[in-house]
Amino acid sequence: MRRERVHVVTGNVFAVSDAQGDMEVDPRTPIGLFSFDTRFVSRWVLTVDGERLQALSRDDMTLFETRFFLVPGAASHYVDADVSVIRHRSLNDSFNERLTILNHSAEPAHLVVRMDVGTDFADISEVCHPSPRETTTVEASSTDGVLRLRYQRQRFSREAVVSSTAPGEVDEGGITFRITVPPRGKWITDLHVAMIIAGGAGHDLRSSLESHRRQVRHDMRADLQAWLDHAPLLVAEEGGGLARVYTNALADLAALRYRPLSFPDRVPVGGLPWAMTLYGRDALVTGLQTLAFIPELASATLRLLALGQGARLDDFHEEEPGKILAEQRYGESAAFGDQPTAVYFGAADTTPLFVILLDEYEHWTGDADLVRQLRHPARMALDWIDEYGDLLGDGYLRYLCRNRRSGLANQSWKNSPDAIVHRDGREAAVPRATCELQGYAYDAKLRGARLAREFWADPVYADRLEREAAALKERFNRDFWLPEREHYALALEPDGTPVETLTSNIGHLLWSGIVTEERAAAVAGHLLSPALFNGWGVRTLAEGQLPYNPVGAHVGAVWPSDNSLIAAGLRRYHHDEEASRIAAGIFAVAGLLGGSLPEVIAGYPRPVTRYPVQLPVAGRPQSWSAGALLMLLATALGLRPCGDNLLVNPALPEELGRIELLDIPGRWGRADAYGRARPTLTPGHRVRRPD
Amino acid sequence: MASSAVEFLKQLGSGIRQELPESVSGTVRLDLREGGHTEHWYLVLHNQRVDVRRSPQDADLVLCGDREAFDQLASGRRRLVESLMRNELSVIGDLQLALSLRRILPGPPGARHPREFARQEVERR
Repeated sequence: MRRERVHVVTGNVFAVSDAQGDMEVDPRTPIGLFSFDTRFVSRWVLTVDGERLQALSRDDMTLFETRFFLVPGAASHYVDADVSVIRHRSLNDSFNERLTILNHSAEPAHLVVRMDVGTDFADISEVCHPSPRETTTVEASSTDGVLRLRYQRQRFSREAVVSSTAPGEVDEGGITFRITVPPRGKWITDLHVAMIIAGGAGHDLRSSLESHRRQVRHDMRADLQAWLDHAPLLVAEEGGGLARVYTNALADLAALRYRPLSFPDRVPVGGLPWAMTLYGRDALVTGLQTLAFIPELASATLRLLALGQGARLDDFHEEEPGKILAEQRYGESAAFGDQPTAVYFGAADTTPLFVILLDEYEHWTGDADLVRQLRHPARMALDWIDEYGDLLGDGYLRYLCRNRRSGLANQSWKNSPDAIVHRDGREAAVPRATCELQGYAYDAKLRGARLAREFWADPVYADRLEREAAALKERFNRDFWLPEREHYALALEPDGTPVETLTSNIGHLLWSGIVTEERAAAVAGHLLSPALFNGWGVRTLAEGQLPYNPVGAHVGAVWPSDNSLIAAGLRRYHHDEEASRIAAGIFAVAGLLGGSLPEVIAGYPRPVTRYPVQLPVAGRPQSWSAGALLMLLATALGLRPCGDNLLVNPALPEELGRIELLDIPGRWGRADAYGRARPTLTPGHRVRRPD
Repeated sequence: MASSAVEFLKQLGSGIRQELPESVSGTVRLDLREGGHTEHWYLVLHNQRVDVRRSPQDADLVLCGDREAFDQLASGRRRLVESLMRNELSVIGDLQLALSLRRILPGPPGARHPREFARQEVERR
């Protein structure tokens, strides 16, 4: 049986333990305390008088804070129920655990409390098979109550410093406390683990960086509350379920922000447990999803990605001038080039998405300064589409992996190796031009044209981009449309052969606007057909084709992030009813599962399972899943900036009843939106004076 | 391709660097250590130009390391962020400038244009 896992998370720091709070290496999954892609603690086991503890209950207070209520002994017999233990674990930029031992008896309790501490400094990318590392115990001092463990490879070093407020006997494998707890009394110690990244002379690198110097350890609870207070307020009529889903999504997004080394602001990481770092695609999509709620995420993401934009040719990292990065990590395997992840550029969609987000961000916020400031990177991104993205010179954006050792074969959002296949399961020939990439390129060109005309004083360039976009739309509708099947092909092979598989990718085409008006109804019909729509959402790949697998991530399972873009696309083409069915399905998933919405659920038909089936591989929480809920809400309310006003045009699913979203930030200051499920009732909105 | 960091630096200060955004400006000092002594190179980034001179003045960003570490950057064999992560270069100040500086450093020798690579791949099949 799979053991229960308990996590705490903030930024790129996270700790995963079992239900008792203990951490022991499991080769299948990342267990332990991680930061900056490195496991700083791999063993953290509490015993009382040599015995492990048993969990009575747990209080997951926030994503960064959990309390375990424990008693010594095995489940079947409480050896000494006179004693109980509370482990109160919390994260900020370090790991904290307050141990409280309670003596419930009338006699003093003489106890030996021990925390086993160990580390392997494994890199997250090899955590399933960590290579042996020589870890040195730099200091094991009972006098100072400090255990200092270090890993060193050339000048690269990582250090974990474990300390305790109560005196204990420190040895290389942990800390032992021989204590007497008075009758009806308690004993407390605060354990602390600092995680140090080498910056020379024993200092943490962060202390020498301007971006991090001003960072004081902030109060995590106050920080979360401020974040929640800053976001629009949702008032929902139906039983409180929707309001809880909304608050959870905001809390996920708060927890998954991290501050990169080069940067003063926080940007979204992908999510727990495998993607706890910057992923260009996830961050851009999250930025798009959250514009009506927290536009600061988009601006931080745009500025950071502009800073890390590709500048030269590099096969191993798949870099080209103007390209927007796919992934960035700080672990040992990135530093020493075992993986290309120091800055990996293996993504063909991030670059057009960058331009799309910049334009959309300006629509919402009116922040023209950022558009001017990012002119150069945005222009380089637009140039990249034709100069480096159009691999065969046939006017289509394609990808082809140049890093055969460790690069990704598929470089669009469906990036698993088996994602881009024919209906009969054959792999599509490379280089592949997937359909949604063409939609993004089309949209990016049109948006780039607007930016060039309105902000960069370059009408000639704007005209050119518009001509190119129009030509691309025409070409695309000729080459990708499958008249017999009445949908667009998933991809084109190099010789122009269409990959005819019916997939969710066609929903993105609606979002991009590359679909001609007369074809939108057919596309919408496919998306909501039983083959694609399973009752919760649109499957990545339609049932009835050979590659379909309901538990295959990109060949049958359902992704909330995918569905949020599809629903927005459906409304763009006035298929409001279809969009609201998707919104209702995904909100039902979030409501039933409770807590954080996972990145993906199984594609089984809803009437069969009646409960969303989770996949063991699915990450949770994930930025773009939390963001999907916000985007679906905005889509259901029909929020759209128009000049300096916020338009509201609700098309709510019946399940959502009546909702109000108050204090929506934007170029209008703050505005409110109201919506009811029944279309007969008049929508309304009110604009407030700017703050 | 420059064979050493010094050679690279000497040829830097001429003309517009299209790779640099107009908005980038700041000062960078490179401290090249060799044997017992340190050479200080001072770079001013402004208006898509890089002015280079020898000076130990304070800068917004200071990168310090063995000459060999800088030579590897100049040859394109090591990425700047990897040098920083490996702690071969120490860094003080504004790391954003380091990412801008990265734009003008050469890429690895022998890298291919993706179109060229795709053409070969399609022909091979």
